[in-house]
Amino acid sequence: MQGELIEILLKTAVVLGVPLGVIPLIVHVERRGAAFIQKRVGPNRVGLFGIFQPLADVVKFLFKEEVVPAHVLKPLYILAPILTLVMAILPFAGIPICEPFMLGARKVYPEIFRSDLGVFYVFATTALGSYGILIAGWASNNKYTLLGSIRACAQMISYELSLSITLVALFFLYGTVDLHEIVRQQNASFFGFLPTWGVFYQPVGCLLFLVAIFAESNRLPFDLAEGESELVAGYHLEYSSMKFALFFMAEYLHMIVLSALFVLLFFGGYNLLPGFGLIVDMIPQSLPLFQFLSLFFKVALMIWFFVWVRWSIPRFRYDQLMNLGWKRLLPLGIANLMVTVLYVYWKG
Amino acid sequence: MSLLPFLVLVIIGLTLGVLLLSISQILGEKQKNPRPHDIYESGMDPVGNALKRYDIKYFLTGILFLLFDVEIVFLFPWALTYKDSANKELMIAEFLFFMAILLVGYLYVLFSKSLKWDD
Repeated sequence: MQGELIEILLKTAVVLGVPLGVIPLIVHVERRGAAFIQKRVGPNRVGLFGIFQPLADVVKFLFKEEVVPAHVLKPLYILAPILTLVMAILPFAGIPICEPFMLGARKVYPEIFRSDLGVFYVFATTALGSYGILIAGWASNNKYTLLGSIRACAQMISYELSLSITLVALFFLYGTVDLHEIVRQQNASFFGFLPTWGVFYQPVGCLLFLVAIFAESNRLPFDLAEGESELVAGYHLEYSSMKFALFFMAEYLHMIVLSALFVLLFFGGYNLLPGFGLIVDMIPQSLPLFQFLSLFFKVALMIWFFVWVRWSIPRFRYDQLMNLGWKRLLPLGIANLMVTVLYVYWKG
Repeated sequence: MSLLPFLVLVIIGLTLGVLLLSISQILGEKQKNPRPHDIYESGMDPVGNALKRYDIKYFLTGILFLLFDVEIVFLFPWALTYKDSANKELMIAEFLFFMAILLVGYLYVLFSKSLKWDD
């Protein structure tokens, strides 16, 4: 029992500690990236390249007044940011960061919450994110926040459909839901140089999944939940100081966990990047470390892609968003599934 | 299989949230100005109550999501058992039948204008 607890805490320190630790860095990259794309300078005063700016922001968050407006439903209003953070932390338990490795005579699984159906656990807990948003919007007792949260919820559930139908096709092709097995199947190569990544088996599925994770994490071009030009700030309008920061952290955690899943399912997951193989050949014990670094690097690229898209594509109108989700992506997902299944059947 | 990891994560999340909020509560500035405690409505005096009726379409979207999501959930066991099944023709026939029902349902929803948002 005690050994188990220590193991869980150690895994948590890596699987959860690293994402929480890099959030300030991501915020900084996002702001500098925005400045780079818009030909501005961006925050560059605090420390080298303004690297300490996020720290200054955190300090400022801590010293701001905790306003609890008089008109809100107080218990739910305070609960909502905490709940949102918990919901954003939970999916990390199912993410494998490296192969199961031998520690002495024992096989250690890198997931905090090891289960054969780990990927379903991740999706279930990711979907819980909409509860925090709904509670926040309702408890704030404000027209803008209510609209923002209802919109966000409708958007998230609409795009979850295309997400799950993509997954059906993908699991059908892999024949398993075990993320370790899925990553192992992506370790071979076509013609000796092209890796057998999921994106080459399911290009349409990959595109659908990509669009859906943008919508799920409420990022531009799908940030209708915030929609500054119409709803001021959406569901977190009445929140200030640290309570707002918790929503902010939860959004970034969502981005990280969905990017990690995307990489695991479509881009070879923790399979070693070119070059790492040489080092691992010399020191075989370092395999888990370099697998983790490979995954980390791919997720980092994915996060940069989020930033890139955010500052390149304008926001949709709400009816466009719903039409895209229900009338384009869902039929496309169904067609993708049909084609996949019939192709596998014909091939025998 | 133990649920301990799940509990540990919930406790970590709750602790982190409560800790950060209380630090901010203790360190943060306190003032007696009543202005920030009003409903924010673009600087105007608030009009009416916020918790009132909203568009039925959001509710419809929720119901439709439930329907379609349950149908997709039914597909997962099918997709995972296909590889090891003896009678592949039967599996494919079942799949096509299921998808045909799904398609009829989808077309009904489409023509009943439940998904029409631009009016």
